Amino acid sequence: MEGKSHQLGLWLSGLVVAAVMLLGLVAPFVPYDAADAVSYDQILVTPSFAHPLGTDAQGRDVAIRLLKGTEAFFFPGLGAALVSVILGAIFGAIAGYSEGLLRSLVLGFLHLIDTLPRLVFIILVCTIRDPSIPLIASVTAVLFVPTVATVVRQKVETLASEDYILAHLAHGFRAVHVLAYHILWLQCRPLLVRQGAFVFGYVLFVETGLSYLGDYGVQEPDPSWGNMVAQVRDLAGLSPWPWLVPSAAIVATISGFLAFGNIVAARGEEVVR
Amino acid sequence: MLALLAVTARRLGAALVLLIGASFLIYITIRSAPGDAVDAITPMGTPPEIKAQLAAEFGLDVDPVTGYGAWLKHSIVGDFGESLVIRPGEEVMAMAAPRFAKSLLLGGSALFLCLALTMLLSILMGEPTVRHQGLTGFLYFVTAAPSFVAAVFFTQGVNEFVRGVVEGSGYETPPWYPIPISTESVMPYFFAGIVLVIGDGLFMDMLNGIRAEILAVRNSQFIAAIRAKGASTLPHIAKNLIVPAVSAYVSRLPLVLGGVVIVEYVFTLDGGGYMLLEASKQRDFPVVVGLSVLFTASIIVLNLVADVIRTVVDPREVARGG
Repeated sequence: MEGKSHQLGLWLSGLVVAAVMLLGLVAPFVPYDAADAVSYDQILVTPSFAHPLGTDAQGRDVAIRLLKGTEAFFFPGLGAALVSVILGAIFGAIAGYSEGLLRSLVLGFLHLIDTLPRLVFIILVCTIRDPSIPLIASVTAVLFVPTVATVVRQKVETLASEDYILAHLAHGFRAVHVLAYHILWLQCRPLLVRQGAFVFGYVLFVETGLSYLGDYGVQEPDPSWGNMVAQVRDLAGLSPWPWLVPSAAIVATISGFLAFGNIVAARGEEVVR
Repeated sequence: MLALLAVTARRLGAALVLLIGASFLIYITIRSAPGDAVDAITPMGTPPEIKAQLAAEFGLDVDPVTGYGAWLKHSIVGDFGESLVIRPGEEVMAMAAPRFAKSLLLGGSALFLCLALTMLLSILMGEPTVRHQGLTGFLYFVTAAPSFVAAVFFTQGVNEFVRGVVEGSGYETPPWYPIPISTESVMPYFFAGIVLVIGDGLFMDMLNGIRAEILAVRNSQFIAAIRAKGASTLPHIAKNLIVPAVSAYVSRLPLVLGGVVIVEYVFTLDGGGYMLLEASKQRDFPVVVGLSVLFTASIIVLNLVADVIRTVVDPREVARGG
């Protein structure tokens, strides 16, 4: 019953993911001097050919700030997703496959990290070290390792007693090879894509959230979708464009990535069965 | 009964180990401050005697193991030192605990509301059909909004829009807002709660989990057997949902408490989350550490409570030995 709507959902969410990827990859090559973009004779212009998404309270083009705003989260988000997926897969495989003391130690360590409230811990780290987006992304990556590891561990535990895995081991394949290739690579890819998409979405959430609050995220005049939304404070309801456009971009990106991850994982499960 | 007590005691022990482990992680994070730790974590111009006192309290002037012992000795009895900036000289515990209680109440009741709503919606939706896919797709999009975006929409967006419309139609600026932002009224807390329920992807995540559990129980064989015998299935379904509901509740707690920090800041509610961000911005380091410990400890304690509830409700937990 799920087939057809999955198709539509996959296209829609895939479109969002592809669009964000494209913006994120193009943005670094677009020249933009944030400090120089202010033009007070163009304040709060409604959308036109010159300014497809209008301008903000300082006369800066919203469209180009939206594009340049992807720089704040795109590569940190991808990096964090990659790190937590790789570390989570390693720890999950160890916890799922090993026995005795090693298993208890790894599980205990993962459980420990999992009890830390993520945002509170990120704020603690920002208080102690110089806050920066790469630092926030690294902390996020570590904090998400238990989430990824739990999913991998459950998969490894169910697969470890399957006949074909036991047959591989009996034929003398090394356990590391069986774990890394037959279990993680062949069976866990859709799950890892989903977890990676979650981490990416969370980095976007933290980056835009902290940039919205000020102080720790991206600082004006540099653009972030978060500090673009924060401009709502100086707008006094004059024009919705400067804050509604980045808000919609944030919601679309997060929901797109989450949906894409979920659909990929669900289809992966169907294929395996 | 004895077995139940034994399992509970073991869980209590595990929670204590977690508490100590988490406090060690927080301590290590403090130690990781670049350069001279005390200089790095205190604001500019802090008098040297206060720096020396801080170094002693947090055990920053000795090796990490001894230092952690010194810090643990203070913090385990709730002595997190004195505030440096936001209320100089005041005991951190005395100023932070009541504020934190507010945050916990806000986050806890929002999560409870979310659980109740998703349960109701799951029961109303029943078996999955194609009809639901439009609804779930829509919910996906709406509930993925980060809490601050939802909060902005509620406060600034709606308020300013209404003001704009009123002024645009030639009237004077109204003396009221559609969504009040004063902390004296209970309304901002209400809206903050709603933002927490629908924001951060919580609602959809919870709905998926709870719905799968309800369907699994409803379609299980023992329910079919009870129905075949003509008895009422409702009490059995309800009892079998307690464990998944409690698990769903505590597992989302860290996410919701993170959301509380942001929502309190946007709505300027004077809870623990607001205090955490204020203290962090002004580098009032003892307050930040005290609140971090309170947030973390509350999650561990509530997990313990959930474990005990699960053990009491489900005898299989005792048989498994916890």
